[in-house]
Amino acid sequence: MTGEAPETQASPAGPPEVRAAYFAFDRFPSTKGSAVHIGQMAAELFERFGGGLLGVLGGGNLPRYQWEPGSGIRIARFGERIPNLIDRAEAYSAWVAAHVAPHVETLRVCHVRDPWSALPVVTAPGRRYPVVYEVNGLPSVELGHTWPLAAPATLARIAELEDFCLERADVVVVPSGVIGTALRRRGVPGERIELVPNGADVPPERPRPDDAPESYLVYAGALQPWQGLDVLLRAFARLADLTGLRLVILSSVPERRARALRRLAERLGVEDRVVWRFTLPHAEVAAWLAGAAVSVAPLTGCARNVDQGCAPLKILESMAAGTPVVASGLPAVRELMADGVHGRLVAPDRPAELARAIRVLLEYPDAARAMGERGRRRVREEFAWAATRARMATIYRSITSNSGITR
Amino acid sequence: MNPCGATTGFFVLGRCGRAAVTVCRCGRQICAEHADQQGLCPECSGAQGYADPYRPGWARGFRRSYYQRSSYDYGDPNLYTGYDIYDRSGFDQGDDFAIGGDVDPDSGDGGWTDS
Repeated sequence: MTGEAPETQASPAGPPEVRAAYFAFDRFPSTKGSAVHIGQMAAELFERFGGGLLGVLGGGNLPRYQWEPGSGIRIARFGERIPNLIDRAEAYSAWVAAHVAPHVETLRVCHVRDPWSALPVVTAPGRRYPVVYEVNGLPSVELGHTWPLAAPATLARIAELEDFCLERADVVVVPSGVIGTALRRRGVPGERIELVPNGADVPPERPRPDDAPESYLVYAGALQPWQGLDVLLRAFARLADLTGLRLVILSSVPERRARALRRLAERLGVEDRVVWRFTLPHAEVAAWLAGAAVSVAPLTGCARNVDQGCAPLKILESMAAGTPVVASGLPAVRELMADGVHGRLVAPDRPAELARAIRVLLEYPDAARAMGERGRRRVREEFAWAATRARMATIYRSITSNSGITR
Repeated sequence: MNPCGATTGFFVLGRCGRAAVTVCRCGRQICAEHADQQGLCPECSGAQGYADPYRPGWARGFRRSYYQRSSYDYGDPNLYTGYDIYDRSGFDQGDDFAIGGDVDPDSGDGGWTDS
């Protein structure tokens, strides 16, 4: 991607020594936005270092180990069936430690995405490699939303673990300025924080999905409470007079996670106008986004989105598809799009305002189309994955030029 | 022709499908490209470089020893000795209430940092 030769070449005789590693407590590949991000970041790392080790979560039918001859890329997947999340995270940490240990001598850089990946990497005995800690979200903040029974004291312990790892990372990469500010508030020195925005690529023209409704709003992403799907359903109920309009929800997580939202849709009387699709391949999601009248990102005004920050790929990918976006006007969202230029920004958690903004765009299709075009142009010029990867390449080059880094 | 059963790809996975030339000890048919010098498939070959983490009881035992060792190394016996039962109880497999949080082992879902 950078047009430069990688630092090592894969040996045709067998796997090369591991000079780069990327660890994420997340399944890869998967239909989630995080997997797209992992794929891009890890691909850049491995391109720069002539391959490397990708350690991620597995499960399902994914192989525990994968090695692609010629690419130098090894993939290791943690697939232990441990129901309790903390137990699983700790076991994963130990698994990462076991996978780093054989390569401590040869590793030139380690890239991690969460504290359970980071802990064994920053504390590996004999560590000489720099560590890039990519913070897309903080479990100490997010787990409080997804696990309501988690005690504040427990989340505080997880925050201590995050701080321990952040303190020892050589570079902390954030996809949003809001996350960078949150980390500075937590004591991470500003000079160690690098802003590397999320990206999207303008997709090739694809035919409209065969089963797509004539006119529809679209939501693409996971279903955690902070995504604001409940707000969107309530807003959609206020658009009942638009009888031909459908709401398409492209869930990146399995159907059973949608039970509560489906019950809410039934209670609101909109279930028969909501079209659900689950875990579609990324390319199919792009076709659904492109065919929509409006894409909606109704993020709530919660601590996860406001204090911690986020960088929703759904907004960038909708803009890349040329679809106008109606989103919550949170600081992190304003980094990606502007009100009245690429779509409309509304106050979070306000179904009536959300419904009104959607209705206005539906009533002025020419203006909406122009917003979509401006969004596509902005992604092409400012948020292409190539730019994100070039920025990462610069960071890798910078930190690996100082050998023997330890913190 | 017996097709090679090795998994290929990075973001989109598939089967190799080339003509197999050997059979791995796991029973998988493997082509010349994917067989290592011992005739192992990438999955078995890759696993060789690491201690087998999939033996029964591995996760618990290794985890405990790792955290004990790390707490010794950093002189903090409390922070890295793991979470107690009260800490963990909030993270047991959820129900409908935990939207997006009822992580099941099949999904391999970390449960956060969604974009």
